[in-house]
Amino acid sequence: MPLRVVYLYRNLTRNLSRTLLTCCAVALPMTIYVLSMAVIKGIDRFLDNSAKQLRLVVGHKTSIINPLPRGHRAKIEALDPTHQRIMSICGVRWIGGTVQNEPHPLSTLAVEPDTFAQTFSDYYLTTEEMADWQRNRQAIIVGRATAQRFHWNVGDRIQINPSVPPYTPFEFKVISTAPKAIDPITNICRLDYLEELTKQAVTIVPEDWKLQGWVSFFFVKCGSQADVDHFRVAIDALFAHSPDETRTQDEKTFINEFIKQQFDLPRNLMILASLTVFVAIMAAANTMSMNLRDRMNETAILKSLGFSGRVIFGLIQTEGLALCLSGGLVGALTPYVLFTYSPLRNFTVPLIQTLEIQPIVCVQAMGIALVIGMLASAWPAWVGLRLPVISALRNLE
Amino acid sequence: MALPLKYHWRNLFVRKATTVLTILVIAAVIGVFTWVTGFNSALKSSLAVASDDRKILVLKRGSTSETNSAIPVDEYAKLNQLTEMARDPNSNEPLLSPEMMTQLSRPRIRDEGKTWGNIAMRGVTDAAFKVHSNVKLISGRQFSTGAQELIVGATTARQFSGLNIGDELQLGYSGNREYTIVGTFSASGGPMESEVWGYLPSLLNSYNRTMYSSAALRIKDGVDPERVLKEIEGPAIQMSAWTEPAYWKAQTENIGKYLVVTSILVTAMALAAIFSIANTMFSMVAGRTREVAMLRTIGFSQTAILAGFVIEAVFLSVIGGILGCIGCMAWLAEMGNTKDMFGASSFTSLAFDIHLTAWTVGTALAAVVIVGVVGALVPAMRASRVAVISALREP
Repeated sequence: MPLRVVYLYRNLTRNLSRTLLTCCAVALPMTIYVLSMAVIKGIDRFLDNSAKQLRLVVGHKTSIINPLPRGHRAKIEALDPTHQRIMSICGVRWIGGTVQNEPHPLSTLAVEPDTFAQTFSDYYLTTEEMADWQRNRQAIIVGRATAQRFHWNVGDRIQINPSVPPYTPFEFKVISTAPKAIDPITNICRLDYLEELTKQAVTIVPEDWKLQGWVSFFFVKCGSQADVDHFRVAIDALFAHSPDETRTQDEKTFINEFIKQQFDLPRNLMILASLTVFVAIMAAANTMSMNLRDRMNETAILKSLGFSGRVIFGLIQTEGLALCLSGGLVGALTPYVLFTYSPLRNFTVPLIQTLEIQPIVCVQAMGIALVIGMLASAWPAWVGLRLPVISALRNLE
Repeated sequence: MALPLKYHWRNLFVRKATTVLTILVIAAVIGVFTWVTGFNSALKSSLAVASDDRKILVLKRGSTSETNSAIPVDEYAKLNQLTEMARDPNSNEPLLSPEMMTQLSRPRIRDEGKTWGNIAMRGVTDAAFKVHSNVKLISGRQFSTGAQELIVGATTARQFSGLNIGDELQLGYSGNREYTIVGTFSASGGPMESEVWGYLPSLLNSYNRTMYSSAALRIKDGVDPERVLKEIEGPAIQMSAWTEPAYWKAQTENIGKYLVVTSILVTAMALAAIFSIANTMFSMVAGRTREVAMLRTIGFSQTAILAGFVIEAVFLSVIGGILGCIGCMAWLAEMGNTKDMFGASSFTSLAFDIHLTAWTVGTALAAVVIVGVVGALVPAMRASRVAVISALREP
């Protein structure tokens, strides 16, 4: 056994540049794989969390930009007089917004304050934050990545210019940066505050902008998955043939539609990750075939000395596995360390801030590296196994 | 004296397995590279059409796109005071177009209606065709004023179902107004080709609106656009104004970010390809030490040997590059070359077609040559420095 280990070590180090280049050619695709999977898993976690929350999203049937009357809430609530199947309903209005001298648009939602905490329990507001939320109409919960980007802290007074009428700056007081919320970007403020500020605008902006008493969506928190399935149909049936017909989707489907229209990142990254694995297989197979060819004579001698074909097969396979595992280890650990422990983590780029490389992805990458090693050395190992000793020895230079 | 190209070409087939595996690595990398370049180029060429800085888009101050902008008619009227506005040579009317923006949802053709996209629907008057001068009717007829009729951008008609001439759509705020599609228009492949247009007063009425979303205007030749932007944003008018290229740049900023991420990953893949080529070339050099020594003995210079190995790597890379481009073409043919993506804050789809143009293929092949040269340089230098006497003594 030790002899085989020594032989393996010598084989790997006899052409160091080849070993290092192959390690790099495997490590880089593995890094791409780990980063791609981290993004995909992050999106999956987001979607899974949405599915777990048992929420429905009710929007206008004709377009997402058409608002719904707030009166719909009472009608939807009336579908379940027991309040056991529809736990809570929260109306949400998109106000977007920008910060002074900062052109990039924000994601800000104004929500009905009384039902927000129950409907969006995955924001995990503390008792103190809840009290602040209820007490202060100017309260705003800012996404932690957004807070970091603009250096906003709890207690700060901030100004946001809304992207909807009256377009004049709104002043808020930060009451939380929602450290446990799965969405690190979106800011949440109170709808009653928005309506109070837009009251004045109603005199100058015609009624058709629907500033008072309208919301973009309703989020309906259900008691069980069966209730989600039931009310998805029941709500649309309730408003069918009315002037404000609805389109109800579960939250996961609703968010997924947005993701698909934004470059369809998960699908494209999955294709990229698959291709990088292919690249790594080809690169490693190339090295293993070069190694076999260079050592054909040596293999023939080993066989003539009595080493069986199975041993030769094992030696070549082990070499391929060791080579690819080394590459996989470097490729998987580099992004893990970079995005977990290095100052890169503090970059105020949302994609980097939200990128969480889970150890399981690294383990998967190393597993794939092992499979790459196995596949890459399969043909050379098979040739080694079947190598006819006499003819191979005849070719000795 | 240089080594004949035939010699390099034949050398590639001495170690067939190595050659094939290296070519496959390069093909995979260049396939992805070509797709990303094609995507980028399609997006850029679509935006290049919207690069008329004589055209100014006016939004309500504070809004970030036409979708969330609302301009009351009396505020819109303030734009008439702009003296820099161009005028129609026939009617002497100012080239100022009031516009309304709303959306309609349609199923995508490429996935047989599994997913739907939000399409921008613009309410316009005759003035729009003078301000957006690249918009031309290509089939059917113009919508009649007052009738519930629409014309559809050619790109969006290809992407989404139910948008052909003669098709009827239930539109309006409550989806109870029946509109008929009567024509298809081109906008030279620009972002407006992803839209549906209808008569402004009809659409305002159907969507219970009284305010415009935006205004588009054309300025006189020779007038500095920046001056006009300042005037519109100034105290007399108090609205926000963008030149057409600046507006579309902002709307596609999100797409640009995704492309940057993908490009970084493709660059990492290209590095892996460089390592793979270097590995192959080192192996070629090691296997041909005596041959190289022989070539040096019969008079070939170090430079010729160095160039020879680089040429072999370039051959290898170009074959891989061509295969990669063919692979990308096959992918686009099989999976469809039409794409649509959300604008940053308009929430409407910007549709475009990815085509492998001569420029895209040329860029891919240029990139692959660079990859080949970089990968081969160190091994080739090693080959050119072979100690002739000791190499010839080797068994």
